[in-house]
Amino acid sequence: MTVQTKDPLATAAPPSPAPRGSRMGLVLSLTLLGLLLLLWIGLSLSTTTFLTERNLSNLMRQGSMVAIIAVGQTFVIITAGIDLSVGAVVGFASVITALLMTHGFGIAGAIALTVLMGVAVGAFHGFGIVQLGLPPFIMTLATLTALRGIGLLITNGQTISGMPKEFTGFSLESYFGIPSLFWMVIVVAVPAYVLLQHTRWGRYLYAIGSNAEAARLTGVNVKAMIYLAYIISAGLAAFVGVLLAARIGIGNATQGEGWELQAIASSVIGGTSLFGAVGSVQGPLLGSFILTTINNGANLLNVNPFWQRIITGALIILIVYFDQLRRKKR
Amino acid sequence: MSTMTLERPAAQAVVAPLLVLQKLDKRFGATHALKSVDLDFMPGEIHAIVGENGAGKSTLIKTLTGVHQRSSGEILWEGRSVALASPHEAIGLGINAVHQEVVLCPHLSVAANLFLGDESTRFGLLRHRAMVRAGQKILDDIGFAIQAGATLSSLTIGQQQLVATARASTRGTRFLIFDEPTGYLTRQEAAQLFALIRRLKAEGVTIVYISHRLEEVFELADRVSILRDGALVSTSKVSETNEGALIKGMINRSVDQIHYKETIPFGPEILRTQGLSGPGFTDVSLAVRAGEVVGLYGLIGAGRSEFVQTVFGRFAKSGGSVFWNGTEITIRNEADAIRRGIALVPESRRDQGLCLNLGVGLNINLPVFDRLTRGILLHPTAERSAADKQIRDVQVKTASREAHVSSLSGGNQQKVVVGKWLNHGAKLFIFDEPTVGVDVGTKVEIYKIFARLLKDGAGIILISSYLPEVYDLSDTLHVFRRGQLVASHVGREADQESILTEAIGV
Repeated sequence: MTVQTKDPLATAAPPSPAPRGSRMGLVLSLTLLGLLLLLWIGLSLSTTTFLTERNLSNLMRQGSMVAIIAVGQTFVIITAGIDLSVGAVVGFASVITALLMTHGFGIAGAIALTVLMGVAVGAFHGFGIVQLGLPPFIMTLATLTALRGIGLLITNGQTISGMPKEFTGFSLESYFGIPSLFWMVIVVAVPAYVLLQHTRWGRYLYAIGSNAEAARLTGVNVKAMIYLAYIISAGLAAFVGVLLAARIGIGNATQGEGWELQAIASSVIGGTSLFGAVGSVQGPLLGSFILTTINNGANLLNVNPFWQRIITGALIILIVYFDQLRRKKR
Repeated sequence: MSTMTLERPAAQAVVAPLLVLQKLDKRFGATHALKSVDLDFMPGEIHAIVGENGAGKSTLIKTLTGVHQRSSGEILWEGRSVALASPHEAIGLGINAVHQEVVLCPHLSVAANLFLGDESTRFGLLRHRAMVRAGQKILDDIGFAIQAGATLSSLTIGQQQLVATARASTRGTRFLIFDEPTGYLTRQEAAQLFALIRRLKAEGVTIVYISHRLEEVFELADRVSILRDGALVSTSKVSETNEGALIKGMINRSVDQIHYKETIPFGPEILRTQGLSGPGFTDVSLAVRAGEVVGLYGLIGAGRSEFVQTVFGRFAKSGGSVFWNGTEITIRNEADAIRRGIALVPESRRDQGLCLNLGVGLNINLPVFDRLTRGILLHPTAERSAADKQIRDVQVKTASREAHVSSLSGGNQQKVVVGKWLNHGAKLFIFDEPTVGVDVGTKVEIYKIFARLLKDGAGIILISSYLPEVYDLSDTLHVFRRGQLVASHVGREADQESILTEAIGV
């Protein structure tokens, strides 16, 4: 027995005009947005180099790639899972893209095949978790290790270069004053938001994260939805691999080291619960740009890079602690 | 076990109360959960507390066990005022509770659970065998037929409940609270529990017994107190009151509303099983018609749940056939069953029925999101109005459709579990223990939902371990014993005693 609701009269006509969940999500995003703006204002005042077009577009480029994999990661975490493989998928995808492009595949074909490879990796995760019953942590830890190995094996540990100029040039371009890589964030985030908030599959993902058994007994195809979440995560990671290859101009299996942890941290800073059923698309986006801003600012302030890591770790604890505190008070 | 031996209950008049509550008040923000409650508990007394869900029983327990701190008022333990600021302090005094849901470690052994937090060690290492021996002795002493070395999760829920009771009754307990202890117990297990309770009473332990099952109150208790809306209505000797008076005190409604049932003419047959066998049951043949309530009664473990879960596609059948609207079908999985129009309201609403940390609306719409979709997008107005309609129809008391299900009372949570199927329009509803831990008022509302489903041409399979309920509600009552259907009764042709005899098999 739990405490009764305060207002039994509310039965007749549920009053709330806007859904509370999205309103809370909005408030949370606003708070994070406030934090991000505060960081920007602080850095603008304390450095002369922050508020320059060059630095801002650099910051957007830096943050974009982690932002995209953080969105994919969030789909998985909402189902109460985890995807540790995304960093390895990024590195592996950069290798595949580079190999395909240097072996006569066109740009479009190479990108499509690379993303398809990511989808296959995600499907393999789904297979291991749903069919073999492995815990997501173990399954994706295994592919994290194995994909790095496969990437090193097929490149013999070498860096693949020689991709077409039109491809590598893309990452440096801007459209309407916004770097192309940041446009990619928008291209990913809008459909991701629609999928999560405005389709039944989004509702099913939350339901599975909250109580998979109840969802199954209510007729939700839990297995298919788990496949979907991991396919989205690995597919987006492969897409980021393509972007990375364009940005650095090479394919290298060791790229994207530790990005899975950055993605998870971004997602959690953005209000995602590792226990599942809580999360949004805007949250991890803001989370990743907060992390990127912290790193960028520390660079501009000439903070010792070793200290940067310590500061980042401490800030993650602080941000998530205050966020939890604030939400408990409601 | 307490070593205290006090005077016989007859001499209670001269014994001072063990625990006294004076003007006990508890507020949670705007909610006034306990209103100036005065109560006293004598040593060696079994004191029953009854009331609807939300009447304040849980808050009272939590205040007595140190989980919540009182807002005002006094708690006197042996005449001295105590703070009861933490569970630790309560346990130190000898106050313990057995909760409705088992809160033990399922992966540990029975003995490990019995001694959890109080392990026997030598040189810092656990003395496993000594603990199993000691645990077995405790279980044997109190007459529970349970192996101390067994893993807890290998026991039935009822047996786990007995282990929890055994645990709470050891370690110097002088004041023991039972919260709905028989909800998941079979008749035999309940009898074992009652024997233990009487024994504790004889040893001078004060028992607080909370139950929705009034006949248990009359069987066990010395005195009974009624709570309503957080206030004490009355305390009386059990010998000086009756069921009607208690129910009236609890709900302030007349008794004839409690059993709500309309007679609905039966329609065509919806489901028939012929010689159906599966895990835990063999050769079950029965039929459900539109407008009919088919009750399945039996002890826990008799195969009723396994039978309905096989019909629902959870388990594969090992023999026999299932007919749906006259045609033989194979149900591959739960989704298949739901598509055909079979809905299951599972036994454990927390584990199987609800997404607790999500909104009421999402839970209610979960079975019908495919119908609220236009193209690939959800239709926002349709989604909202479908949820609101269901919330109104089954009268879920909630702040809004977006409020998390975990913020609702137990009875309202159960209405969400049942209510989500109303929109779906299933033809066969399987209810597995739908009223466990639900108060009288909510029961009536759940029965009204039954009536509405029947009127809409659906059939119902009702599993309940509470005989008066299946007996009163069922048009056809089947009795299960050890995996077999042993007897069937139409209407109320047999009396409850003979049905119980069939189920036990004496």
